[in-house]
Amino acid sequence: MTRQLTGSPAVTAQAVPAPRRRGRWSGRTRRDFFVFLALALPNLALIAVFTYLPLINNMYYSTLDWTLGSASATVVGFDNYIAFFTSSDAPQVLGTTAIFTVVTVGGSMALGLLVALALNAKVRGTTFARSAVFAPYVLSGVGVGLVWLFIFDPGYGVLSWLLRGIGQQSPQWINDPQLSLVMVIIVYVWKNLGYCAVVYLAGLQSLPKDVMEAASLDGANGFRRFMSISVPLLGPTTFFLLITTMISSLQAFDLIRIMTPLGNGTSTLIYEAYLQAFGAYNRAGYSASISVVLFAILLIITVLQLRFVERKVHYS
Amino acid sequence: MAMYLDRRNFLGLAGLGVAAAALAACGGPSTGGSAASTAPSDIDFTSVKPAGSFDFWTSHPGQSQAVEQSIIDKFQAKFPDIKVNLVTAGANYEEIAQKFQTSQAAKSALPGLVVLSDVWWFRYYTNGNIIPLDGLIKQLDIKIDDFQKSLVADYKYANKQWALPYGRSTPLFYYNKDHFKAAGLPDRAPKTWQEFAEWAPKLQASSGAKYSYMYPALAGYAGWTLQNNLWGWGGGWSNGWDITADSAESVTALQWVQDTIYKDKWAGVSSKNAADDFSAGIASTTISSTGDLLGVLKSAKFNVGVGFLPGGPKAQSNVCPTGGAGLGIPSGVSKEVQLAAATFLKFMTEPENTAAFSAATGYMPTRVSADMTAVLAKTPQIKTAMDQLAVTKVQDNARVFLPGADQEMAKAAAKIMTQQGDVKATMTDLKATLEGIYTKDVKPKLKS
Repeated sequence: MTRQLTGSPAVTAQAVPAPRRRGRWSGRTRRDFFVFLALALPNLALIAVFTYLPLINNMYYSTLDWTLGSASATVVGFDNYIAFFTSSDAPQVLGTTAIFTVVTVGGSMALGLLVALALNAKVRGTTFARSAVFAPYVLSGVGVGLVWLFIFDPGYGVLSWLLRGIGQQSPQWINDPQLSLVMVIIVYVWKNLGYCAVVYLAGLQSLPKDVMEAASLDGANGFRRFMSISVPLLGPTTFFLLITTMISSLQAFDLIRIMTPLGNGTSTLIYEAYLQAFGAYNRAGYSASISVVLFAILLIITVLQLRFVERKVHYS
Repeated sequence: MAMYLDRRNFLGLAGLGVAAAALAACGGPSTGGSAASTAPSDIDFTSVKPAGSFDFWTSHPGQSQAVEQSIIDKFQAKFPDIKVNLVTAGANYEEIAQKFQTSQAAKSALPGLVVLSDVWWFRYYTNGNIIPLDGLIKQLDIKIDDFQKSLVADYKYANKQWALPYGRSTPLFYYNKDHFKAAGLPDRAPKTWQEFAEWAPKLQASSGAKYSYMYPALAGYAGWTLQNNLWGWGGGWSNGWDITADSAESVTALQWVQDTIYKDKWAGVSSKNAADDFSAGIASTTISSTGDLLGVLKSAKFNVGVGFLPGGPKAQSNVCPTGGAGLGIPSGVSKEVQLAAATFLKFMTEPENTAAFSAATGYMPTRVSADMTAVLAKTPQIKTAMDQLAVTKVQDNARVFLPGADQEMAKAAAKIMTQQGDVKATMTDLKATLEGIYTKDVKPKLKS
């Protein structure tokens, strides 16, 4: 027997749930959204005002021929970019930036890993050693720069005194542009390797012990275990350090400013931007264009690393 | 991670971009009008009452914080209605300039009175950041004729006075009297560099010092002190607005400088501060500012002699540049603040106060009538600096009027003096750079 359904079309319509109208939120969704706004808006506003607004302003200034301190400026479009890339300084500035970044990132990470391996050993005094290695990282760059300037001073520096002890003259660390770059790189690596060491140490201590023990039982020596197990498994740590140290190297300023105020031989992109606007030249528009170039480089590096390098990282 | 940019997203982004550009255009400089100097002309202060307080931005040249404060205290006693806030606005002329220009850009927190150095004031003038003082000098009866003429003239441009001299200095020749005595040399500065070139090997042999002469540190000083060598050989950084850095005379002068370091090996280049190197006994002689005099006398553990800068084969006198800082009044503050600042400026530069400032720092007294008897009794070496003032020469335009020129000169000097670079090629490059700065950054702003 078939039971026939009866009823008004309106009743039938009530039986099928009506589609929710777009934009109409339930009370709970709306409440959640306001909570989200209350929590996020202050931070978003701060980020907008102190990060994105200056960024946008800087991009606008890069299109101006503007002398810092002057109330007026001329719109010049991309002339500042053209002037930078066609100037005789551009290859030197870009080259210095590349050398400084590659050497400081490579040096900090390689030495940091070696130090981490040493600190990972179960011997007495490692707690003190870990603190000592990490301490320079948290010191003020200005203070570190000043102290190292006294060490490197060819006239009465500690290094000069040691070299005289073995009958050698001190190199002109501060006046010679090439040696200035070497000097700043040494100090930067010394200051930052503690950070890499501590992060690597955390990575080493989280490696699975059973894999290591299995490799040992299979006859793999320490070097083989390090190269075939530790290094691949440290991939995420290395990737994280690569991004963070590269970004901070490209933004290194305090040591360069204190140790080589003239920027002769040590003018990286960020320091050149500073010198052009605030150092002596007062070319605010031109300086802004250099900052935009630096921003673009940082953006490209980060995107490339996220897109290509991260895929090759082995996560345990 | 894939990103999809549909029409709605694209329009949203475009809208954001337009809004951002509009937002950016709201701040910063105006983009209309001419690039020529917008320096204000004479201002009428006749019906203006001085403000109750203003900021005085200084870098305390010559470690002058204490004496500056004591002069301010005296001023407050005389003018209790005008409060002067002493602000440390930087550790040196460059830092104070940085802060001043950043405040100009921000259009806020400007001082009433600011210390401005020889290489910075002209930029403030071309940017319209400072006011001419002529009206105030007249209204407040500042005795401009009693100032040292050459020091006042340094701040004159387009028939207007843009600042008054404050911590003014010249380079001085410092020598270690004990080293000179041991080498059998007369107790005086050499008359020419050729004479010193004869003395230098004897000094080096007998003194035990690493160098007979220490060239000043390149950052900040190369452009200033090397004018002595350039002028002595008949050259210069520039002649008027004509850049002469690559002239035969200039190249010969700097070739001689390079030879003293690499060929004769009796001279070195200071890494940080030649006065400190000299005080530490690393060099037997050096050239440094008169502002370093008291510091050297205090820290040196030997008898210090000072003398005029040596001349060269083409010029034996008038081979010493003036330098140091003046005081100016910003245009971006109210007339009331400007008048209050000018009242203090008058007081600050009165004879007894300039004498007190000179006694505390070693800088030269800027007023002719300043009674220096007590100061000279205590530090007779200051007399040498005062006497040398008569044979000083106004600095080359290229150094003091071109933005960044000092930096470029220091880089060129570094190439010649620390890398043994080819002098002619380096100076030719420098000339091109300086001409580029003049054409782009200065010429369009000069009133025809």
